[in-house]
Amino acid sequence: MGESWFRREFLTPRRLIFNVIFYGIHLFLFAYGWHSQETNKKLAALNALTWSVWTSRGAGLVLAFDGGLILIPMLRNIIRVVRPRLAWLFPADENIWFHRQVAYSMAFWAMVHTTAHYVNFFNVERTQVRPVTALDIHYKQAGGVTGHFMLLIMVLMYTTAHHKIRNQCFEAFWYTHHLAFFFMIGLYAHATGCFVRDTPGPAYIPTFPFYDTQHCLGYMSWRFTIWPGIIYFGERIWREIRARRSTRLSKVLVHPSGAMELRIIKPSFKYVAGQWLFIQVPDVSGFQWHPFTITSAPEDPYVSVHIRQVGDWTQGLGERVGAGPSVVAALTQAAMGGKEKDESVYGTRGDFVELDPGHSARALPTVRIDGPYGAPAEDVFKVEVAVLIGAGIGVTPFASILKHIWYRQRKGNLGSLKRVEFFWVCRDAPSFGWFQSLLQEVEAAQVDPNFLRINIYLTQKIGEDMLWNIAVNDAGAEYDPLTLLRTRTMFGRPDWKAIYGRMRQAVETGQYLPGSNSQLRTKVGTYFCGPGVLAKSIKEACVHNTSANVEFSFAKVRRSIGASISSHSTRTLQEHF
Amino acid sequence: MGNLIWHEYARFVSLSATTYTIWSAFWGFFYRKFFWDFVGGTIRAPGGIQPASNVAFLITIIVKAPVVQILSMVLGFGLLALDYPAPFLKGTSIYRSFVFRIVLLILQAFFAILYYQGTNGALWSVIAAGCFMRAQMLGEKMEEAKNNRGRGGKA
Repeated sequence: MGESWFRREFLTPRRLIFNVIFYGIHLFLFAYGWHSQETNKKLAALNALTWSVWTSRGAGLVLAFDGGLILIPMLRNIIRVVRPRLAWLFPADENIWFHRQVAYSMAFWAMVHTTAHYVNFFNVERTQVRPVTALDIHYKQAGGVTGHFMLLIMVLMYTTAHHKIRNQCFEAFWYTHHLAFFFMIGLYAHATGCFVRDTPGPAYIPTFPFYDTQHCLGYMSWRFTIWPGIIYFGERIWREIRARRSTRLSKVLVHPSGAMELRIIKPSFKYVAGQWLFIQVPDVSGFQWHPFTITSAPEDPYVSVHIRQVGDWTQGLGERVGAGPSVVAALTQAAMGGKEKDESVYGTRGDFVELDPGHSARALPTVRIDGPYGAPAEDVFKVEVAVLIGAGIGVTPFASILKHIWYRQRKGNLGSLKRVEFFWVCRDAPSFGWFQSLLQEVEAAQVDPNFLRINIYLTQKIGEDMLWNIAVNDAGAEYDPLTLLRTRTMFGRPDWKAIYGRMRQAVETGQYLPGSNSQLRTKVGTYFCGPGVLAKSIKEACVHNTSANVEFSFAKVRRSIGASISSHSTRTLQEHF
Repeated sequence: MGNLIWHEYARFVSLSATTYTIWSAFWGFFYRKFFWDFVGGTIRAPGGIQPASNVAFLITIIVKAPVVQILSMVLGFGLLALDYPAPFLKGTSIYRSFVFRIVLLILQAFFAILYYQGTNGALWSVIAAGCFMRAQMLGEKMEEAKNNRGRGGKA
């Protein structure tokens, strides 16, 4: 995996701090739970069960903590509001990552808790400290029933949440993960029935909370853990309401590369560049919400997303709007045919086809969108030089950002931004035909040739034909034969250290930013979206080249979070949701 | 349902079920109890359930000597090796057989349901077996591992 587990978990300061705090709290709660049970005089009878009851109580408290924590990273709307104020604490969109850490921890402590209880109930039956059998507690009492039920739900949820399954069949993951509702009910009900008590039978009372706190001595953790659940439930309802506000699918454009562009008009939907949304098409599925990066700029009169037909849902959507896989295939072929006439083997001119709803039998489907979510990329206007790096599918957020920059450039409202370096590292450009056409527009609109520089790196191996094509067509041509941009395509992986080194030199000698005052420190902000390994090497290059005159900063734009154009493809690294 | 590849999903369930079963068998060595002892058993205080006399044989192989637990654990490790998979099993005909797995999983469920700790493992094993059956019914094939291919996302 490139780097060792130890290096990643312990030698990265931020991760180390997280690990110490996160697991520290867990261990502390375990110890506290253990201790408070062991020293509780009222629970002397239970303490005759010794270590197993201390373990189960300690692990139970930890699980309550995790149960309260697991929904917090899913409170998307609250996070979106709170994040800007806590940006120093959470560097990027790491909420799914955190959700997973809590889930892993939960699985581990569930194992500890359950194992200890199996021993507890065995001994309860043997000693008859309570007049029940082990199986009575397991399968007749609230704690046992909900516990086993939650374990079953966990198996289903964890297995379907594996990235392999998510990519194969997002639906399986999506629907199964909604078992969380029953899981949370189970969690809040887990300690009902006055389970931890100093009396042989449960001490119920007729008024709320229906158990006698004198004798029922559990941690009462549900009083705390229920709040994230309630808030989350409220958020889901709020999302439903918001999604029902007037929304209209105004246009569907099909790009020759097979991507569909949906242009949606929703006046109540406000967003900034770099964010993503959930989309629902009731005609395809009445329940599913699918995440996609917003590819339009906030200045555009519509909200657009680009969708590639790779999964069930996306293909269903294609069929519904009359641009099913067969149509797209035909289009692609036509484009290829046309291209042959142009005698360029690769790259399409990005001529899209607009689907005219008037001609097809059915009107365009209703769509609903929910969002926006994710960190905005407004920071680009606070630096003098913005380096935007998109790798593979990670290029999608930059569609919106580049367009947004372009709009602000036209309005002369660029903040301190003086130059933009755009890097696009991908295996094969042709599959991103739609993005090429966007780049062409942006490139063609440049008045100052130095403002935006596009650097495209193709990392795939090149066949002989393509090599000749490049060699012959490239020389002296106005456009690059591969991307049809004025910018030349480069081959192989970029050498970030060298690139950043040159940039620093150019800035320092004053060639890069004419008129920049060498007394002031030039700020160069890097915004990256793509796989973590690449992020690391770029970050290193940033740190390495920071000098007295030039400050290189590094930020990750959301990690291609599912929201990517091919949100259900099998190849991209995705963090769905 | 979608493009779900059932045997790949079943593998995850099977691994979970098998790991749980091995763990339960381990604890079954120390806290031995016949799961079905409540059928016809009588409760004594202290002492717990005294099983009926007609299950004496099962008591012998579960409580007196943890034979079932040992079998369950051995089988569990076997299944784990098959599903993980262990390098020496990878690519063999056994490894590619869903029917073989279904049989082993049902057998595992059968052993696990006999002793006190094994219930969940047994239930999950049956679920895993069901998923493999679905894979078999859909005519899925175990693909040979793709050689010489890194994981996605590597720079």
